Amino acid sequence: MPSLPQRMDPAQLSRLGTLPIKARVIVQGALTGMHRASLHGSSVEFAEHKEYTPGDELRHVDWKAYAKVDRYYVKQYEQESQLTIYLVLDGSASMGFSGGGIPKLEYAGLSLAALAYLGIQQQDKVGLLASGDPAVETIVPPRGRSTHLHDLLSVMDTVMAKGGTGDESPAAALRRIAELTRRRRALIVLASDLFDPEDETLAALALLRAQKHDVSVLHVLDPHETGFPYDGLTQFESLENQHRMLVNPVAIKREYLDRMDAFLTRCRTTLAAAGVDYHFTTTDRPLEATLLELLVARSRLGPARRAV
Amino acid sequence: MGFLAPFMLAGLLGLAVPIAIHLIGRRRAKVVKFAALDFLLATKRRTARRLRLRERLLLIVRVIACAAVALALAKPFTSCERKGPQVTRGPQAAVIVIDDSFAAGYLVDGKPWLTRATTDVRKLLQQLGPEAEVAIVRTSEGADHPTELTRDHLRLRDQLLALEPSSRPADTTRALAKAAQLLTASSHLRKTVYLASLQARSGLRPDDPPWGEDGPALVQLELRPARMMPNVAVTSLRADADPGAGTRGVAFDAEVANFSDQPVKLELSLTVADRVVARGQLELAAGERKSKRFLATLPAGARAADANVAISGDALPIDDKRWVRASLRDQVRVLLVDGDPRTVRHDDELFYVEAALRPGDREDSGTQVRTITAEELAGIDPKAKGTPAAIELESFDVVVLANVPALPVERVAVLAQWVRAGGGILVAPGDQVDPAAYDRTMLPLLPQSLRDPIDTTWGASPEDKDSRALHLVKWEADHPIFAPFSKAAPELADARFFKISLLGPTTSTADRKVLARFTNGAAAIVEASLGSGRTLLYTSTLDRDWNDLPIHPGFLPLLQQSMRHLARKHAAFSDPVHIVGNSVALPAGDLKKLEVRGPEGLGAVFEGDRLAGRSTVRFGRTDRPGLYKVVGTDQTGATHERDELNFVVNLDPRGSDLAQAAPGDLPVSGTGTGGTPADSTRRIELWHALAAALLLLLLAEGLLVQR
Repeated sequence: MPSLPQRMDPAQLSRLGTLPIKARVIVQGALTGMHRASLHGSSVEFAEHKEYTPGDELRHVDWKAYAKVDRYYVKQYEQESQLTIYLVLDGSASMGFSGGGIPKLEYAGLSLAALAYLGIQQQDKVGLLASGDPAVETIVPPRGRSTHLHDLLSVMDTVMAKGGTGDESPAAALRRIAELTRRRRALIVLASDLFDPEDETLAALALLRAQKHDVSVLHVLDPHETGFPYDGLTQFESLENQHRMLVNPVAIKREYLDRMDAFLTRCRTTLAAAGVDYHFTTTDRPLEATLLELLVARSRLGPARRAV
Repeated sequence: MGFLAPFMLAGLLGLAVPIAIHLIGRRRAKVVKFAALDFLLATKRRTARRLRLRERLLLIVRVIACAAVALALAKPFTSCERKGPQVTRGPQAAVIVIDDSFAAGYLVDGKPWLTRATTDVRKLLQQLGPEAEVAIVRTSEGADHPTELTRDHLRLRDQLLALEPSSRPADTTRALAKAAQLLTASSHLRKTVYLASLQARSGLRPDDPPWGEDGPALVQLELRPARMMPNVAVTSLRADADPGAGTRGVAFDAEVANFSDQPVKLELSLTVADRVVARGQLELAAGERKSKRFLATLPAGARAADANVAISGDALPIDDKRWVRASLRDQVRVLLVDGDPRTVRHDDELFYVEAALRPGDREDSGTQVRTITAEELAGIDPKAKGTPAAIELESFDVVVLANVPALPVERVAVLAQWVRAGGGILVAPGDQVDPAAYDRTMLPLLPQSLRDPIDTTWGASPEDKDSRALHLVKWEADHPIFAPFSKAAPELADARFFKISLLGPTTSTADRKVLARFTNGAAAIVEASLGSGRTLLYTSTLDRDWNDLPIHPGFLPLLQQSMRHLARKHAAFSDPVHIVGNSVALPAGDLKKLEVRGPEGLGAVFEGDRLAGRSTVRFGRTDRPGLYKVVGTDQTGATHERDELNFVVNLDPRGSDLAQAAPGDLPVSGTGTGGTPADSTRRIELWHALAAALLLLLLAEGLLVQR
């Protein structure tokens, strides 16, 4: 992995202007100094050379190659059509948790905003679904126009500003995507903490993957959730329901961490088995790093699934 | 239950502290909105109960700890009836009187009582503290007593450890008196006598209190295992000749006493010369004494044998056995001098005497008789020595002069010398005796001079003869020669005396004593000592000339007893009974060395200065009951057992009665000069236990907090 440039702390970033600006800052931060060849940034990507045969479009003839080897080669491109990207933001109450840094929801939102920014820039159609509050259905249909970015980010801003409500898992939103995309393959990026007691989300992701969609998951957790750094008698209250418990965190830390480890392992193995691109991050990690990891991972997926 | 510092109970308000901490702690808990609560809840399901339990336990432990602090500071105590003695630690004078009589060997739960008592007394010693000046006084009779109090508790403990039941009865009163005497010398204000005894009445003499009101305080250690301590003991054993069973026949009379309030049935066994020869059963009511007679014969060839009677064991085994030494009589060698021999046998002066001394003319009659005439008595003269007619007076124990005319002076002198050397002589008058001639020559042998005889029936008609006859009265019933007779003794009293010699002034003999008188007040038998011998004067004839005593049943025993008395072999068939602790005199004879071997290794050796020139030696180490054998080495160096000197030692049966003493039998507990009267209740302070509990609680609290 290339050495990362100076990143902005997510907390600092969250204080930075409007969401479009933030998205651009993240993208720029992520891409600054990167080798351009590895990430072409075009939706019509070069795949391989093929010897010219009559019938091939002349505009695809690689003249530079002809000059070198004195033979006609035709450039072939992976995907020539516009890519549809669905960004799914888990807006449930649990995403509003913050152990001191920025809330998971904001981190997830910023990550997705950066992706949206990148996608729109590449003329991909980018749509947004936010889950969490079952009463409100937040859907921004995929569009590829540059003005669409503004609409999309403003909706995302609203969701983030609400700060996480409801206890609906992203599974419903994912199923909705399955309906919306029909047979058109799409890139679906879910940013969530995957706190779903019934594992519906994992099942829905596997389903989408089974429908040949390209699925990525950005698993966002707060460092307090992974490290459980509490001590002293503490009253823990649920963000999604009325549950609460008074406990000495030191006494249960080991068991909690074991359970958290088991949960992460389960997410990773389940999604890997389903072929879902899984990325785990915590909110104290620079967004650029997270974005870059996401992009690098996608670039390694191979031409068939490379989108952004 | 009470408190020495009840105001400290206010500290119980401190109970509010842990409760408040508990409640505030709940409220002060940080509130954290947490997304992954499901994980916590899952965790909690498993640990919540444990955590809740821990919290509550902590609360309880802290509350109790706070309460314990307050309670301990309030110094709680409880009172209970005093069981043990009240012992105050510190400088004081104390005498521990401990019962080491043979009754202390009473088995309680298989162990001697004394073992338990010494354990308790050792504890007592510890409680008194090192500053106490203490002495230990033993109650057994004749025990050595300490002369002063000591702080050397180590030595006292050693003394206690070495203590064993003695074989003597308890003399508690004497021991208490000694204790009081020891305490008198002490300068301490607090003076206490601790009595560790079986509280048996037998060792106490209430009429002879060891101290008065100002005496030391008396604390009795409660060591009597039970109010009633049943005990059965053989309290006496004697052996008597049993002619019915032959010459070796012996009747053993054992007296058994039941010192309990329950009837008992027990088995007795008689052992003679280490062989059990008879067994019997005996039923005793509560508190009853009963005798049991065993008939046995001594082993063939033995003139003496050691025997014991044992009863089936009880809690005090030492008094279940008693020893006796049964000896056959030694033969008495009698020289009969016939002053009026007749050819018609039954007219002979000595016809009845010979018949009485050798009934049936049997060898085993116990008497060896030689009869001579008055003339033949000349054989005792020194000039007759070496001639066939010579008579060795030394080979006789008794000489009987029956109706012998007055002897020449020189012959009387020989006889008198022989009597002085230990011989015995019986002089009986008769028609051949001339009082005047007797007065001239015979006085050295007589306790009193003779006068003319009187005939009480002189001139009486044959019908009146009987009524005028004299009878024996007023005899010394305690004297050995009358020992076989009862007080009335018709076998003697019925005899009629028609003629008797009257007596004149007393002679130079010592210890003259009239043993029997006739109805008219005249002396019938007079005894006197002559040197180490004895002389007996009978004032009537030994045949039927002057009386009809010889045909009365009393004649035979009277004559036999007289011979034994004169021969100094009248001692009881049983050898004298020695009690544990008494010294025993043993004739040294001409032995070079004399060794006494008693039971349990007790013994002594007398030789050299301890023996030379002594006629008797005294053996004092009769510390255990049982048989003591004597082994002698004579001048030739030959060592052999001296069976005739063996002796037995028995327990003093007084100590077998373990009946509990009445409270009044004990001396009053004095003030101890400065002490406080004993309190019947005992205060037990509880704060030590509370403090210990507090420590444990703090430990538990620490462990709970750590978890």
